[in-house]
Amino acid sequence: MLAYSIKRLLTLIPTLLAASILVFLFVHLIPGDPAAILLGDTATPEEVAQLSAEMGFDRSLWVQYMLWLGNVLQGDLGTSIFFREPVLSVIGNGAETSILLATMTMVWIIIIGLPIGILSATKHGTWMDQLTSSGAMLAASIPTFWLGLYLIMIFSVYLGWFPSSGFPSLSDEGGLSNLRYLLLPSLTLAAPNAALIVRLVRASMLDVAREDHVRTARAKGLHPSRVAIKHIFRNALISVAAAFGFTFAALISEAVVTETVFSLPGIGRLVVQSILRRDYPVIQGVILIIVVLYMVINLLVDLAYARLDPRVSLK
Amino acid sequence: MNAVNFLRATFKGRKLATVGFIWLCLIALAAIAAPLIAPFDPLEIDPVGRLAKPGWPNLFGTDHFGRDTFSRAIYGARMTVIIGMGSVIVALVAGGAVGMLSAYFTRLGHFLMRGVDVLMAFPALLMALVLITLLERSVYNTILVIGIVYATTTARILYGMTLKLKGEVFVDAAICSGAGHNSILFRHILPNLVSPLLVQASFIFAFAQLQAAALDFLGLGLPPEVPSWGNMLSEERIYITRAPWLLIYPGMLIVLSVFSMNLVGDALRDSIDPRFKDDIAGV
Amino acid sequence: MKLKTWMKSALAVGALMTLTSGAYAGGMLRYATVGEPPSLDQQVVTSDLATTIAHHMFEGLYTFNASNAPVPLLASGETVSADGKTIVISLREGVKFHNGQAMTSADVLASLKRWGEFGSRGSLIFDHVESVEATGDFEITMKLNEPFGPWKNLMAFINGGPAIYPASVMEGATKEPISPDNYIGTGPYKFNAWEANRYIELVRFDDYASPAGTADGYGGERVADFDTLRFIPVSDVGTRVAGLRAGDYDYAESIPGDLFAGLDADSSVKTMLNGGPIFGLVFLNSSDGPLKENFALRRAIQTAIDKTPALQVAIGPEGLWRANGSFAPEGSVWATTSGTENYSRGDAEAAKKMALEAGYDGQPIKFMVSTNYPFHYDSAIVYTKQLAQAGFNIDLQVYDWATLIEKRAQPDQWDLFFTHHCFVPDPILISVMNDNYPGWWATPEKKALKDRFTASSDPAERQEIWAEIQALIYEQVPTMKTGDVYTYNIASPKLNGLGEQTLIWPSFWNVSK
Repeated sequence: MLAYSIKRLLTLIPTLLAASILVFLFVHLIPGDPAAILLGDTATPEEVAQLSAEMGFDRSLWVQYMLWLGNVLQGDLGTSIFFREPVLSVIGNGAETSILLATMTMVWIIIIGLPIGILSATKHGTWMDQLTSSGAMLAASIPTFWLGLYLIMIFSVYLGWFPSSGFPSLSDEGGLSNLRYLLLPSLTLAAPNAALIVRLVRASMLDVAREDHVRTARAKGLHPSRVAIKHIFRNALISVAAAFGFTFAALISEAVVTETVFSLPGIGRLVVQSILRRDYPVIQGVILIIVVLYMVINLLVDLAYARLDPRVSLK
Repeated sequence: MNAVNFLRATFKGRKLATVGFIWLCLIALAAIAAPLIAPFDPLEIDPVGRLAKPGWPNLFGTDHFGRDTFSRAIYGARMTVIIGMGSVIVALVAGGAVGMLSAYFTRLGHFLMRGVDVLMAFPALLMALVLITLLERSVYNTILVIGIVYATTTARILYGMTLKLKGEVFVDAAICSGAGHNSILFRHILPNLVSPLLVQASFIFAFAQLQAAALDFLGLGLPPEVPSWGNMLSEERIYITRAPWLLIYPGMLIVLSVFSMNLVGDALRDSIDPRFKDDIAGV
Repeated sequence: MKLKTWMKSALAVGALMTLTSGAYAGGMLRYATVGEPPSLDQQVVTSDLATTIAHHMFEGLYTFNASNAPVPLLASGETVSADGKTIVISLREGVKFHNGQAMTSADVLASLKRWGEFGSRGSLIFDHVESVEATGDFEITMKLNEPFGPWKNLMAFINGGPAIYPASVMEGATKEPISPDNYIGTGPYKFNAWEANRYIELVRFDDYASPAGTADGYGGERVADFDTLRFIPVSDVGTRVAGLRAGDYDYAESIPGDLFAGLDADSSVKTMLNGGPIFGLVFLNSSDGPLKENFALRRAIQTAIDKTPALQVAIGPEGLWRANGSFAPEGSVWATTSGTENYSRGDAEAAKKMALEAGYDGQPIKFMVSTNYPFHYDSAIVYTKQLAQAGFNIDLQVYDWATLIEKRAQPDQWDLFFTHHCFVPDPILISVMNDNYPGWWATPEKKALKDRFTASSDPAERQEIWAEIQALIYEQVPTMKTGDVYTYNIASPKLNGLGEQTLIWPSFWNVSK
C-alpha cells in the first residue's frame, strides 16, 4: 500500500509539470495585449510598449514560463494585471463563493440523486424505474442557463422567495442566512448532475446486484431492503464516491455558466472575465489550481480504491 | 446484419426511445432540406415586423431583428447536426485512435495515456473558452474545441475496451496465424468496437449540443450571424418577459433533441455486447 | 434558532442606526453596474463606468450644472485677461482631502501638471499652455500660448479630466493609473474597499466641505445621505433587471431599449432616461487601406447607409432614439444641420455609382465590430447588408472588445470599426477631433478649423465654426454618426432625490432611500 502510494505520488510530478506547460502555453497564445487594454484608447504605441516591458511581456516565452514556474513553486501565482493584486488573493475572493456553491450543489445531488437512484435500482423493471430513469435523462438534457433564467423569473421576480443574483459573503451582515443567495444557483447546477448520479447509482447497484455475494445474501433469506442497503449499496458506494469526487472538481468549472446567469462572484465568472480582459496571470492561476485539484482528487480516489476494494489489482 | 433488423432489435419494447429516434430523423430531415422547408430567409432583417408574436405567417414569431424564428429554428437544426457529427468525428477519430493504439502498443500507450490524463484534468468548459479565444469564433473551431474535450474520455474508454479485447482468444489466434498489426487492428479489433463506439457517439452528440449552447451563451461559441439554437437563446435572452416565445422554442428544441439522443444512446447501449457495458457509463 | 438570530441582529442594527444616524438618512445604495472599471483614476481613464463611481470621490476645479454650463466646484472663481492668454483661478479654502490634509494650490498644481502631461484629455488644453504656476496658497495662474475658448468646459469634464489629488499622490505619477491605496480625493464619499470581482465600496466622508448654493446639475450643495455606496458588477443585463425588480438592487444601469415599455409601465420600477444621449460612431481609416485618402469613396459608403432601420433594430422604441445627423443632440447649443443632408441617404444606386467613380474595384473592406455591446453588433449587421446592396464587399469581423481595441491600434488591420461615444458638453471633446484617436484624421483643413475653434472664446462665433467643422466631417467622412440613443437606467421607487433624468453619469449625493 505504501509503495503504491509513493509510486503514484511520484508519477504525479511529471504530469503536473506537463500540465503547467500546457496551461502557460494556452494562455499566452491568446491574441490581445493586456497593456493596451489597461491603458485604454488614448495610449500611444510607445506607452503600450513601455508598460508591456515593465510587465515583462517582451521577454521570450520560455523565460517567462520559467519565471512563472519558479514563483508558483514558492506559492506566488503572480499579480493580476487588471486588479493589481496578488492572483492568490483575487482567486481567494472567488473561492468562498465557488466552494460554497459546489458544496451546496453536492448536497442537493446527494439528497435528490441518491434516493432516486437507489429507488430506481430496487424497483428495476417497473414503471417507477422507467419514470425515474427517463425523468433523470430529461433533467440531464436541459441547458443550465435556460433553467437558471426561468428559475430566476419564477422564484425571484414573480414569487419573491429568493434573491435573484449576487452573493454577499458569509462574513457580511446576514451571516449564514446569506446562503439563500446560493439556493437557486445550486439547484440549477444540481439538476443535470443529479440526473447523472441517479443513472450511475442505478447502474452500479444493478451491476453489484448481479454479483455472487449478493446472491448469497438473498439465499440466506435476508430481508430485501437489508440486502439493498448493506450489501448492494455499500459496494456500489466505491464507484459512486469516486464519481462524487470528480463531480466536485468539475463543478467548480462547470459553474461558469451558472455564475454568469446569477452574477455570482465565483471563480468561474472570474475566469471568463479574465479571458475577456486578457488577465493572463489570473487565467493561468485558476486553471492551474483546478488542474492540481483534479489530479489530487484523482490520486485520492485511486488510493481509496486500492484500500477499499482488495480485488483491485495494483498495476 | 441488416439495418432494419438492427433497429427493430434495439428499439423493441422501448416506446420512448423509438419516439426519440423519430424526432432525430425529423431533425436530420430539417437539416438537410432546410432551404426547401424554411418559409423565410433566416438572415432577412425586417425592422418593422420585430418581436411579432407566433402566428401566421411567422409560426414561431420574429426576433428583435424581425427575422422569422421558425426558419431560424430549421436552419438551427442544421447546426445541431453539423456540430454533433463534427464533434463526434473529431472525438472518435482522435480519441479512438489514441485509445486503441495505446492499448495495442503498450509502451507507447503508457506515454500517450499519461498525456490523456493531463488533458483530462483540464476543466472542459474552461479549456473550450481558452481555445476559442485563441482560435476566433467559427463553426470549425467550435467543432474542434468540443471534439477535443470529448476526445479525452473517448480515448480512455477505447483504451479500456481494447485492452479487454486484446486478451481475447481470437486475437491470439490471429497473431499465431501471422497477421500483421494493421490486420489485427482493422479486421479483428475494430469491428468489435463498432457498437460501443456507436453508443459513445450518441452521447457525445448529445452533450456536444449542451456544450455548444453554453459556449454560445457566454458569447464564445458559434459566430453570432450563424443561426443555431444556442445562439438564438443567447441573443434573445433579455426578452424573456417581453417576447417569451423567443426563448421557449429554441430551448425546447434543445431539450427534446438532447433527450432523444440520450434515449437512443441508452437503447443502443443495452443492445450491445455486455462486455463493454461497464466502460460506457455515459460520457 | 434562525429566527431568534435574525431578530437579535435586527434589534442590534436598529439600535445602532438610531444612535448613529444623526442628520443623514443613512443606509446603503446598491448599484448594479455592467462590469468592473479598469481603474478609478479619473485623470487617465475615460471609462464611463469609472466616472459613475469615481465622481463621488474625486472633484475638479469646475463641474456642470443642469444646463451643461461649467460652474465652480473646487475653484471659487476666475479672472481671464483681456487677451485671453492669462487665467487666474482662485481656490476654495477649507477643503479637506480624505486623508485629513487641507487642499492648497500645491495639490492643484501637481494634479494639473500630471494631467497635462499624462491625462487622457490633458493634451487638449496643455498643448496650448505655456506655463502653470501656484501664485498664492489658494491661487493658480495659467499662461496660454494663444487664447483657448473651451478651457473651462474641458476642466469641468471630469471623465479623463483634471481631478484634484494631493500633491503627495501625484509625485511620480505617470500614465499608469494610481493604485487604490492612493484614491484620495475631496468628494462627499471616500474610497473604502475594492473587493475584486465582488464590489467597489465608498463610504461617507464626514469632513466633506460642500460648495454653497442650491444643487443645480452637478453644481451646488452636495449632501452625502447614504452611509455606503456599493457598486456591484452584474454583467448579464437580464440579471440586472430581474435583480432590481426583486429588490436586490436599488439602481441598475444600461438597460436595453426593448424592455423600456414594460419597465416604464411597471410601478415597482422607476425608469431614468439619460439626459445626454450617447451616439454610435463608425470610424474610417485615414491612415492606411483603400479609404486612406479617398474622400469620394468614403462619401459613397456614407451614401449607401440608411441609419433608421439600424436604430430600430438595435434600440427599439422610437422614443429612445433619434436619427439625428447633428453631432450634438437636439436642444444643445451646438446642434446644427450643417452637412446633415448626407447623414442617412440610404441610396444604394447612387452609392454604387459614386464608388465606381471613386475607383472602387470590389476589394474587401474590413469592418470590425464587437459583441460586447449588442447595439454595435446589431447596427453593424444592418449596415453590412445595406453596403452589400450597394455593391461593397464588406468583410465583417466580429471580435470581443479586448481584441478589437488591440487591432484598431494597428492601421493595417481595419478599414471601418464601430464604437460609441458618450454625451459631451463641448464638441472639442469628441474623439474624432483628436488627431491621435484610431482613424487618425489629421487633414490641413481640419487643423485650420480646429485652431480657429479653440482660439475663440465667443460662444456664438464658436458655434458657427463648429457648423463648418461638421460640414467638413460630412465631406471628408473620417467618421459616421449613427444616431442619438437615449439610454436609460432603472431605479427603485424608494430612492428620493433622483430627479427625472440623469445628467451624464448618475450621482448619488442629495439622494436617499
